[in-house]
Amino acid sequence: MGFFIGTDVGGTFTDLWVAGSGGDTRVFKSPTTPDVLGGVVDSIEMAAESYGLTFKRFCEQIERFGHGTTVGLNALLTGSAAKTAILTTRGFGDTLEIGRLRRQTSGMNETEYTDAYLRNQFAPLVPRSLVVEIDERIDVSGAVITPLDEQQARGELRKLGPQGVEAVAVCTLWSTYNPVHEKRLRELAREELPGAFISVSHEISPAVGEYARMSTTAANAALGPLAGRYLSRLESTLREAGMRVPVLMMTCAGGVLPTDVLSDRPAFALFSGPAGGVMGSLAIGAQIGLENMLTIDIGGTSFDVGVIAGGKPIMRSEIAIAGADIRVHSIDVDSIGAGGGSIASVQFGELRVGPKSAGANPGPACYGRGGVLPTATDADLVLGVLDPDNFLGGRMKLDIEAARRAIADHVARPLGMSLAEAAWGIREVLDSRMADLLRRMTIERGYDPRDFVLFASGGAGPSHAWVLSAELGLDRFVVPAAATAVSAFGTGNSDLGFTTESPAYARVRPGATPMAGQLAKISAEIASTVAEVRRNLERAAAAGNTRIERLASVRFRGQTHHLDIPLEADAFDLAAYGSVVARFEKNYETLFGRGAAFSRAGYEILSVRAVGTGALPPPAQATKGEPLAFSKTRKVVFRDPKAPLDTAIYLTTFPAEGAGVDGPAIIEFPGQSVVVPPGARATADGFGNLHVRSAA
Amino acid sequence: MTNTLNVSAVTFEVIRNRLVAIAEEMRIALQSVSGSPTVTEASDFFTGLFLPDGSVVSMGFQVSFQAPVSGTVIRHISGKPHLKVRDGDMFIGNDPYIGALHQNDVQMIGPIHAGDRIIAWAGVQAHQTDVGGMDFASWCPRAKNVYQEGIRIPCVKLVDRGELREDVLEMITTASRLPDALGLDIRAFIATINVARNRVGDLVARYGAEVIVQAMQRMIESSEARTRARLAELPDGEFRACDFLEHDGHSNVLYKVDVKLTKRGERMTLDYSGSSKQSPGFVNATRAGLMGGACGSVLTTLGWDIQWNEGILKTAEVIAPDGLICTAQFPAPVGSATVETIWVVSNATMLVLNKLLSASPRYRHRTQTISDGCMATFNLGGINQFGEPFGLHLMDPLAAGSGAWATKDGVNAGGPITSPVSAIADVERNEQVSPLFYLHRRLAPDTAGAGKFRGGVSAEVALTLGGIARAEALVMTHGAEVPNTMGLGGGWPGATVRQSLGRGAIENGRPQQDGRWEKFGPKPGLMEMTNRDVFAVTWQGGGGWGDPLEREPQAVARDLAAGWVSAQAAKEIYGVVTKDGTLDDEATAARRRSLREQRIGRPVSDEAKFTRGKPVGSISESLLIVRDGNGTHVATQAGYVLSTGSTRWRAGAVAATFGTLPPEYRIALHEDLSVTAYYCPASGTLLSVDVHERGAMPPDDVVLDLRSL
Repeated sequence: MGFFIGTDVGGTFTDLWVAGSGGDTRVFKSPTTPDVLGGVVDSIEMAAESYGLTFKRFCEQIERFGHGTTVGLNALLTGSAAKTAILTTRGFGDTLEIGRLRRQTSGMNETEYTDAYLRNQFAPLVPRSLVVEIDERIDVSGAVITPLDEQQARGELRKLGPQGVEAVAVCTLWSTYNPVHEKRLRELAREELPGAFISVSHEISPAVGEYARMSTTAANAALGPLAGRYLSRLESTLREAGMRVPVLMMTCAGGVLPTDVLSDRPAFALFSGPAGGVMGSLAIGAQIGLENMLTIDIGGTSFDVGVIAGGKPIMRSEIAIAGADIRVHSIDVDSIGAGGGSIASVQFGELRVGPKSAGANPGPACYGRGGVLPTATDADLVLGVLDPDNFLGGRMKLDIEAARRAIADHVARPLGMSLAEAAWGIREVLDSRMADLLRRMTIERGYDPRDFVLFASGGAGPSHAWVLSAELGLDRFVVPAAATAVSAFGTGNSDLGFTTESPAYARVRPGATPMAGQLAKISAEIASTVAEVRRNLERAAAAGNTRIERLASVRFRGQTHHLDIPLEADAFDLAAYGSVVARFEKNYETLFGRGAAFSRAGYEILSVRAVGTGALPPPAQATKGEPLAFSKTRKVVFRDPKAPLDTAIYLTTFPAEGAGVDGPAIIEFPGQSVVVPPGARATADGFGNLHVRSAA
Repeated sequence: MTNTLNVSAVTFEVIRNRLVAIAEEMRIALQSVSGSPTVTEASDFFTGLFLPDGSVVSMGFQVSFQAPVSGTVIRHISGKPHLKVRDGDMFIGNDPYIGALHQNDVQMIGPIHAGDRIIAWAGVQAHQTDVGGMDFASWCPRAKNVYQEGIRIPCVKLVDRGELREDVLEMITTASRLPDALGLDIRAFIATINVARNRVGDLVARYGAEVIVQAMQRMIESSEARTRARLAELPDGEFRACDFLEHDGHSNVLYKVDVKLTKRGERMTLDYSGSSKQSPGFVNATRAGLMGGACGSVLTTLGWDIQWNEGILKTAEVIAPDGLICTAQFPAPVGSATVETIWVVSNATMLVLNKLLSASPRYRHRTQTISDGCMATFNLGGINQFGEPFGLHLMDPLAAGSGAWATKDGVNAGGPITSPVSAIADVERNEQVSPLFYLHRRLAPDTAGAGKFRGGVSAEVALTLGGIARAEALVMTHGAEVPNTMGLGGGWPGATVRQSLGRGAIENGRPQQDGRWEKFGPKPGLMEMTNRDVFAVTWQGGGGWGDPLEREPQAVARDLAAGWVSAQAAKEIYGVVTKDGTLDDEATAARRRSLREQRIGRPVSDEAKFTRGKPVGSISESLLIVRDGNGTHVATQAGYVLSTGSTRWRAGAVAATFGTLPPEYRIALHEDLSVTAYYCPASGTLLSVDVHERGAMPPDDVVLDLRSL
């Protein structure tokens, strides 16, 4: 067996996780380069070197290559994607500009909503001058009201070529119910603009609601040429070096897909980094027999949370990117501006922490890069959580005096507190904001957080996890072996995944049942989505072991909030309808309380969805770990700033199975510190994951 | 306060964040369960936590007008000992004469107990499409008193110690034409209050009731201290603004909401005494409405970075005698208060507060003109395409333009400022659930108020019925003959509303040439509409900032290319000339020179009229306060002295009053309205555009305390 690789391109570092033939796993980090590809190649070279192989010899032995990248996301955020035109229905060319009024506030945080001056930071994905209105109209029933004026469409398309348009997004009203005009417009666009990348909305985002559908199709088209160029360069570079397997891209929905399946729908991979992180935790959970996990990732600027319930990540159907609503099924990762770089300040005698961040530059005061404002990282240093001489494995020295000065000047003195009290106070405020997000992701969705295990990753995740666990009443947390590169780990450990949906609208009056025609239509849509999933999984060379789940989106009439209810079979008859509605009411009451269901409102079935997964052979991961090496004892604050505790510090890069320590202790990895509070015990499992359990 | 515990800064901040998060968690609960499109799509609702005295502690970002409303009801309950408040109770109410903006705004409140003690209240409100009354959707243009406008629930216990009183619920839903929708929302209210109770209960269990109560009080003190500190930074003086609404449902009478802001040190008063007397029609607001409109404007205009709660509201003392259009007395009809008088109160209040910001060098950059001057109503009722009774309240009019800032253009289809997270539904979604068929929903040219920075362009729609043959429509607005989105600093108001109906203008979804189009005034009222008719409406663009002749010619050319400004408006208002789509610099410079000449004739050049003194302050970019050996003056950028010893500068400027405006402005004026433009006599720069009652001149609107500068 050769190498199993997962790579994830982040803003600062390109991470690579690799499992070798003996089952040992290693993590490498290389700076991300502007062309992205360079950083990926650099990280592979680092890995090859560590195994004493040439780049070519290494690539020849790659068994699997998972990949996640923010290339697409950055292109949209910086407006550097391909020049794209939109074709839409006459009268609706301003859909992106109007943006349902949501474009202007999209992506704002809770402290920004009240400030109208901050609105409208993102221009529409496509400028109005490149939006073309076409004479055509289809109505809600799918009937053609105004036939497509092909001559006019051709004339408009001809004008786009000389403007340098590389991509075309076609999004007309009600194309999801009758795609005839979109299909014809695609043909015309192919004829008039040969070589342009063309996306049609009923394929890319088949859901009712033209704004998100148009945004998604436009984003997809704008990314198409770019993603295609990048992926084909990556693939050809690796193939030339001897890699025989395809590049598997992480999708927003969590599964991976070969690049050729994704080439016409790059938007599916837009948000791959956070998805990779959750998938990494999912894979570890599968190894060690856990199904309910809260995944947290604490970096420098943000705190990200995902929820895995019953072995499945919680999904969302829309994400906001660059001010636009992008409708792709995605793992729901929510985030707030809280991280190691969050700045603490005192105004009017009150302590505030974040959402402003010092970022990487100037960064926390202790980085010595000119930052003078105190951050959460400075607080951790002052509290003894971080070792000034062993940060990032000793690669960076921290200036503890600068941290003390920053906290003393900006927090302790203004509040009349001791230095340690102030530092602990910064932590308490920050941790409580993080706990609020965890509550929102669980309790507000009808989950009891105590049924979950916290999975802590990101640089600061493992040092905050003990407080967050306690806040939510959890008795343990897990720090994955690959916690500093969990997204890369996820891309190397995900199964194939393909999701598609189809609008299948049925509105059912109170006490009534759907008509035969409606049932037949829904059955047909289920069959067609399942067939599409099957076809794509086959294209992705899923080796036999595929699974397809069918879901219906159901809600009470008039609501916007729907629930996804599993269906048993393709045939949707009255019995199937009855069982869907019964399950919907049951799930609804679980979420919103007994008696909340209101069947007198009637029901709406909105769409059906097929979610396919294709198992891939997992990498072997037998570990040759090392013992936890005692390094020294230092004072660390746990809850009581007046009484720091003598805390044993251990060093490791990969703990051996069964290795364990009792708290208070800190286990320092290169890049993270796992804090084991008093009364808790940390034990490593056979895969290098640390389990920290508090005494019962 | 009984005993003062010492709540540490850290604990306070932890609790404060939690209480803010709870208002958001209430929103999630409400929006998840509600069945009203106004809630789920348009965010026309409110969630908040209150002190036992009715002060709002934390609130969501939806309709800021609602901030003070539930508090009024909480105080009402306190004054009625027979309304025994017990743990687990919830009260429902919608009476504008007790505490509601209008009857459609049904709200519920519930006490939060810690043991026997009430430590807080949770409040939730959402606009209900129909609560009875003589016309569907409970907006009754023919109403002469509040009895005709639907059920009035003063304040009734709907949940008694945790038990829903189904009989009372049935009585309430029976009054509605859409009982199931109302029933579903009431269930959502109950779920929302339960969320608040559970979450606050957890906090009490952890920190103790006394700590939570003190933290809540301190949140209010904190926001008050921050707001007062901001007020102290702003110049002292008296500021005036007014706005108008036309037609009260019975006749096309003009009503004024006038506000005088007096700001000294950390204090301010908002005095509405100069407003019109109450009206015989449904446009009135009760005092609850006045407070809502005033408070919403103060929150958004002065409290942009301060946590929204009572502390901000406490800094403004509101003065208004009974019996005004904004303090209407029982039993005056108030059904359309939210979109009529309250909206106009908010416009006038935001305008006066922005005049205050404009006079501050520190905050001028974020001065904003008026956004979304009205919420034109299009309601539809009858039997829908599914064979069921329906009532539709179209939320698309939110997509009007927002006001220009002193430093940048307003947002196209930006919507109102006072409802920060409002949204409109997709066209497809509206066509799916309602019997509608759209011809267009797009941006409308020449709607933005002209200026150095223009307002946001407004959207417009045209639609007919889809899937049904006929329905009853209600069409009404203000702002068809009043330019409500007033500009500042010399900027023009945005276009007025245009609404019309084309009878026979469509067949099977295809527009017909032989339609008979009728242009509507402000309130044509109830009418039958068929699937052969097209209703078309264009809303108000945002107000402009600064003289349009100072706008970057390139920006005008860009707007022209985008179709947001017509060639005629570019030439006549902005003085910008293009040739084959590209800017003609020379012709533009000449055109601008000639427009300035047309404004003032021969420029004044008499040396004695000028000052070279040192600026010590300013009213806007073009009105400087200058001190020299002869005293303190208001001077223009050209150094021309408009006034000395006071900031009452208008008498020194060249004034031009218009009863009608050229067509490119797209501003229709009510017969009792005029617009006066003031120019610098030396340079021809436009200094101010004022909308005012015909026959009177605009008052001096910024009278600064010169000693305080």
